[in-house]
Amino acid sequence: MKMIDMLKLGLRNLGRRKARTALTVMGVVIGTISIVIMISIGIGMNENYTKQVMQLGSLNTITVGKYQDVIDSDGNYVDYKEQQINDALIEQIKALDHVKVVSGVVEGNVQLTARGKYQSNMSLYVMDKSTFEDFDFPPLANGSYNEEVNFKKPTIFVGPNILKYYFYNPKSRNYDQYEVQPTDPVTLTIQNWEYQQDPKKKARKYPVNMYVFDCDENSEYNYNTYMDKSEYERLYHEYLKTLNVKDRKKAEKKMREYNNIKVCVDNVKYIDEVQEKIKELGFYSSSLTQYTKSSQETSKMLQMVLGGVGAVAMLVSAISIANTMVMSIYERTKEIGVMKVLGCYVRDVKRLFLFEAAMIGLIGGIIGIIISYIMSFFINKFGGKLFEAIMSTGSLWGMTGEGAKFSIIPLWLPVAAAGFAMLVGVVSGFAPANKATKISAIEAMRNE
Amino acid sequence: MNNIIEVKDLKKVYHMGKEKIYAVNGVNFTIREGEFCCLLGTSGSGKSTLLNLMAGIEKASKGSIIIKGEDVVKLNETKLAKFRQNYLGFVFQAYNLIGSMNALENVEFPLIFKRVPAGKRKKMAIRMLKRVGLGERLYHKPKEMSGGQQQRVGIARAFVANPQIVFADEPTGNLDTKTTMEVMDLIHDLARRNKQTIVMVTHDPRLAEYGDKIIRVSDGKIVDVEVRKTDEEILNEQMEASRRAEIEKMEKIEKAKEAKRRKEEAKALKAAGHKKEAKTENTEDKKENEQDEQKTDETV
Ligand SMILES: Nc1ncnc2c1ncn2[C@@H]1O[C@H](COP(=O)(O)OP(=O)(O)O)[C@@H](O)[C@H]1O
Ligand SMILES: [Mg+2]
Repeated sequence: MKMIDMLKLGLRNLGRRKARTALTVMGVVIGTISIVIMISIGIGMNENYTKQVMQLGSLNTITVGKYQDVIDSDGNYVDYKEQQINDALIEQIKALDHVKVVSGVVEGNVQLTARGKYQSNMSLYVMDKSTFEDFDFPPLANGSYNEEVNFKKPTIFVGPNILKYYFYNPKSRNYDQYEVQPTDPVTLTIQNWEYQQDPKKKARKYPVNMYVFDCDENSEYNYNTYMDKSEYERLYHEYLKTLNVKDRKKAEKKMREYNNIKVCVDNVKYIDEVQEKIKELGFYSSSLTQYTKSSQETSKMLQMVLGGVGAVAMLVSAISIANTMVMSIYERTKEIGVMKVLGCYVRDVKRLFLFEAAMIGLIGGIIGIIISYIMSFFINKFGGKLFEAIMSTGSLWGMTGEGAKFSIIPLWLPVAAAGFAMLVGVVSGFAPANKATKISAIEAMRNE
Repeated sequence: MNNIIEVKDLKKVYHMGKEKIYAVNGVNFTIREGEFCCLLGTSGSGKSTLLNLMAGIEKASKGSIIIKGEDVVKLNETKLAKFRQNYLGFVFQAYNLIGSMNALENVEFPLIFKRVPAGKRKKMAIRMLKRVGLGERLYHKPKEMSGGQQQRVGIARAFVANPQIVFADEPTGNLDTKTTMEVMDLIHDLARRNKQTIVMVTHDPRLAEYGDKIIRVSDGKIVDVEVRKTDEEILNEQMEASRRAEIEKMEKIEKAKEAKRRKEEAKALKAAGHKKEAKTENTEDKKENEQDEQKTDETV
C-alpha cells in the first residue's frame, strides 16, 4: 500500500463518522490548549519578571551591606543587622566560586550646587568606574563609562529623579525647587557634619561633569549618585586638609570603611549558591532574585494548575482516541477481513489505524494551537485585571503595565504541541491497531 | 492440461468444547487450469470451509493444498497476502463492498494493495466496470445499487487484477433467479475469455451445471467427482470466447469511428450556417450514441 493511498483511506475513514471524529478531536483540542496556554503563560511571566527585575538593577549582583536587611526565603523582610565589612571580607568573597568581580562601595556625603544657587545634599556611592559595567549599570543619557579618569574635572553619575526633585534654592523664601538640566554647570563640595572644619580653611567647590542614568522609574539608580573611586579619593585628600587636625585621622579612616560590598556573579543561577557561601562566612547579603522568589512561586503554582488541567485533558483525550479507535475497529471488522482477503498486508492494516489515530491527534493539536493563539491574544489584551486578582501579592510590580505580555508563544511551542498531540494519538492508537491486525480474514466470509 | 490446484489428504477440525467437528475430513482432488469447478453440497457439508482452506483464509489441520506449485498451508500471513495479490480473486455471497466507497473505488481497492499507480488503477477499474455493464454507475455507492448491480461490482473487483484463480462462495446466494443467471453467465464468460480458473461453492445443483467439474461434498467428505468437460472442450470454449471478445472490440471501434464521423459532419453543417438544424441533429446523435453504448455494455 502506498503512503498516499494510506493517507486518503485514513482521512476518508475519519470522515465517515464525522460527529464521533469531531468529538474525539475536541478532547485533543482542549488538552492542547491547556498545555500551550500553560507553557505560554509560564514563558510570559518569566520573561516579564526578568524584564521587570532587570529594570530594577542587575540580576547577578549580590550586595553585602554594613546595615543589611535580612530577607527570608519567601522574600519577606525579617530583621536588620550591622556587620563589619572590610578588605579582608572582599578577598574572602573574591575567592568564592562563580564570583566574577567584587567591589567595595564607600559612601560619601556631598553637596551639589547647580547654576551657582540650587543646592542638594546627598549620599554619594564611590566605587571603581571600571566595574560599573560588570554590575550592569544602566546606560547613560549622555557621556560614557569608558572615559579616562579626569582629576581636573571629575564626573558624577546621577539618577534622573535626583535632578528632577532634589535641588532647591536655600536662599529663596519658599525653598524653590528646580529641575536641573544635564547641561547646567554643577559644582561638588565634600561635607560631613561629623568633622570640625579648620576655621582658616574652606571646603572647595569642584566643577564636575554630570552624566545621567537612562533608567527605568523603578530602578535603584534613579535615586542614586555614583562616582569613580580614584577621582573621589583625590578630592577627599584635599578635603582632609581643610579639616581640624584632630578630626583628620578619623575622616581618613572613614575613607576606607565600606558602606557595602557589591559582588558580581558570573551567572544568575549561582546567586543562591554564592549567597549561601557568604552566609557561611558569617554575613548576610541581599539580591534582587530573593525578592522575586515569591512571585515566581505563585506563577509556578498557576502553571502547575493549568498543567494539571492540560495533563488530565490529554489523558482523557488519549482514552477517548483509544475508545474511538476500538469502536471503529468493531464497526469495521468485516471490512478489515475483506481487506485481508483482497491482499492487504497485516502491517498495512496496523499502519492505517495508527495513522487514523495520529491524525485525530494532529488535527486536534493544530486546531488547539490556532485557538491558543487567539486566546493568548486576549489574555495579553485583557488579562491584566485577572492576573492582579490571582497574584494577590504586591510583588507584581509593573506586571500589569501597558504592553505587558502574560502569554508568549515562541515558535517552537506550536511545533512541539502538534508533535505531542500526534504522539498522544499514536500511543493511544497502538493497542487498538494491534487489535485490528488480529482480526481474521474469515470475517469477510461470514454471512450474518 | 496442468493441475493448478492439488488438494491432498486435507482435514479441518473445529473444537467446540470437548466435541470435535470434522468440517473437512480427508479430502483429495485436483482442479485443472482454466476449469470452472463447482463444490456442490447441502448446508453444513463443509464446502465453505474447503474453499476457505484453499484460499488460505483458514489454516488446515492436516494435509496440503498445492496452488501453482506452492503449498498454501505453509505460507505465513505476509506471503499469503502477496499470494492473494498475485493469483487470487474473490466473489462473496454478501458482496462485501465498502459502503463508503463508490463502485469505481471499490473496484480499485485490491489494486491499492498491489501498489498499482492511481492513474492506471482507475483505467483498469473503469474498463472492468464497463465490462460488467456498469459503465454508467461508476460513482454510485453500494447503497444506491440493486443486489445484482452490487454483485457485478463485486465481480469487477474480483477480476480487475486479472487473477488466475477466482474463488466464489455462493456468489448468487442473495440474488433472485433472473439476476442469478445473469451473474453466473457473467462469471463464466469472464473466466473463459481470460482463461481463468473458477472455484465456486453452491448448494444449488442447477448452478453446478455451469461447472466443467462438479465435486459433491457431504459431511466433510467428497462423495463424487463429475468431470463434465474434457480439456479440449474447455480450450475450444476459451478460444471461442476470446474470438467473440475480439469481434466485440472491433465493433466498438467501428462504432466510435462512426460517432466521430457524424460529429464532424454536424460541425461542418454548423460551419456552413445551418446552425439550428445542426444543433438538433447533434443532440439526437448524442442520445443515440449513449443508448448504443449502454446496449453493448450489457451484452458483453
Ligand atoms: N468456526 C467454526 N467453528 C466451529 N464449527 C464450524 C466453524 N465453521 C464451520 N463449522 C462447522 O463446520 C461444518 C461445515 O461448515 P461450512 O463449511 O460452513 O458448511 P457449508 O458451507 O457447506 O454450509 C458445519 O457443521 C459447521 O457448523
Ligand atoms: Mg457455506
